[in-house]
Amino acid sequence: MTTQKITADEIELLTKYIYDVSGIAIEKTKSYLLETRLGPLLDEFGLDSYRALHEKAKGDFRKSVETKIIDAISTNETLFFRDRDTFEVFRNKIIPDLIDARSGRAPALPSVPIRIWSAACSTGQEVYSIAITLKELLVDLKKYRIKLLGTDISDAAVSRASYGIYSKFEIERGMPQPLLQKYFSPVGANWKINDEIRAMATFQRLNLLAPFGALGRFDIVFCRNVAVYFNPEDRKVLFNRIADILEPDGVLIIGATESLTGVCPRFEPKHHIRSIFYQLKGGR
Amino acid sequence: MKSLNILLVDDDPTALLVLEKGLSLQEYPVTTAADGEEALGRIAGESFDVVITDLMMPGIDGIGVLKAAKARSARTEVLLLTASQSLKSAVDAMKNGASDYLQKPVDLGELLIILEKIESFRNMAASAEELREAMDVTEHNAQETIGRLEMEVARLASLLEQIREILSDETLEAGKRVEKALHCASNDSTRGG
Ligand SMILES: C[S@@+](CC[C@H](N)C(=O)[O-])C[C@H]1O[C@@H](n2cnc3c(N)ncnc32)[C@H](O)[C@@H]1O
Repeated sequence: MTTQKITADEIELLTKYIYDVSGIAIEKTKSYLLETRLGPLLDEFGLDSYRALHEKAKGDFRKSVETKIIDAISTNETLFFRDRDTFEVFRNKIIPDLIDARSGRAPALPSVPIRIWSAACSTGQEVYSIAITLKELLVDLKKYRIKLLGTDISDAAVSRASYGIYSKFEIERGMPQPLLQKYFSPVGANWKINDEIRAMATFQRLNLLAPFGALGRFDIVFCRNVAVYFNPEDRKVLFNRIADILEPDGVLIIGATESLTGVCPRFEPKHHIRSIFYQLKGGR
Repeated sequence: MKSLNILLVDDDPTALLVLEKGLSLQEYPVTTAADGEEALGRIAGESFDVVITDLMMPGIDGIGVLKAAKARSARTEVLLLTASQSLKSAVDAMKNGASDYLQKPVDLGELLIILEKIESFRNMAASAEELREAMDVTEHNAQETIGRLEMEVARLASLLEQIREILSDETLEAGKRVEKALHCASNDSTRGG
């Protein structure tokens, strides 16, 4: 497979463009990444250089070229129940604590509100893992008012998430057999999430580096394996904004290889069994 | 929701129609061309994931279509349809970069298996590439995190050392030592960027 080589000038141009539209910071040494991800777009649009692609994107006011570039450049790698320990803590500590706190606060409410946001949901595996965990744990969902929102900057990822259909290969990465049998049905060679689980979630396209106060407040935010693509300044802005929309006793969950040390002093880590989650300092 | 977009080329209208119907039924997006000339026009206008072309056609033949498709995008897979007597030219075509060839009349089941293989190979290649990049970024990030934590641990260790020194400074009376130690902890001079 041959790919068009990218020049140093074009790397400059495109990394800047990609940063401006998505906040994704690509190191200038990663020419191979730009070539393998954007090369196919040159073929698709019949262009002969990355500079021409950049021009086409700039001149396209309907932003369809921008959308395609973001879809191509974003790394959507994800899997069901990623970081097992995190999901254990979510199931055995975070949700039970939250329900205790919420039912104690307003015992008169007919149903307990639980608002969860998966801030970079990619193709949806994280969201459906959360939904299945809730369903397994809470059984009768009518007693709760669950709002489960999945957002991502990639249009293609969000529509796949919303579709809820996964290949055998994607299912094999993390979905236990019993849960597969219980919550998916086969369509051709693929598996489709059942309507009951699908209906728990909503999806929308959202750039995390633009203000997102309009989403409202959340009890739990999953923001995993996305800030790793941002520069340190943008990470600070992002986690500060998350602190703004989190309930005082809310919980933030980040990726198992990530850390907030030196990123956002408003959060403090809490250790439970083998896993760490974050809460606002002086919260509760 | 099949993801391969296919160009079908054959100068025999019946064969073309049969294959088009068969592939559309399987939800593949299909474009057709009635000869090599028309195929080249289509290829110029849009890049296809798979081109399925008859080998023997008047004017621009299957090899011509193959070359044009590969020139437009090396990622395009080309399948050739051959009459049984033209096996040797089919082998030549493989040398020119065709992915596979099928004998006419085409067995639809066989064609679908080849297409599925192409599709799953592409998906695997794409996920392998994603995985590689994700690992790369994660590893890099974990390195930064460890670096940051190392600095933080070093800072706390040196603070602890300073406080230990103050507390064991026998030239000061006990009350003064505690006061100075508290002052040191709160004005932590080691805290920095
Ligand atoms: C590696 S995936 C992580 C998916 C999931 N959270 C997990 O941990 O498995 C990273 C996702 O972040 C998304 N992303 C990158 N930049 C973004 C931005 N500025 N705003 C929102 N999402 C972004 C990408 O499209 C990609 O789907």
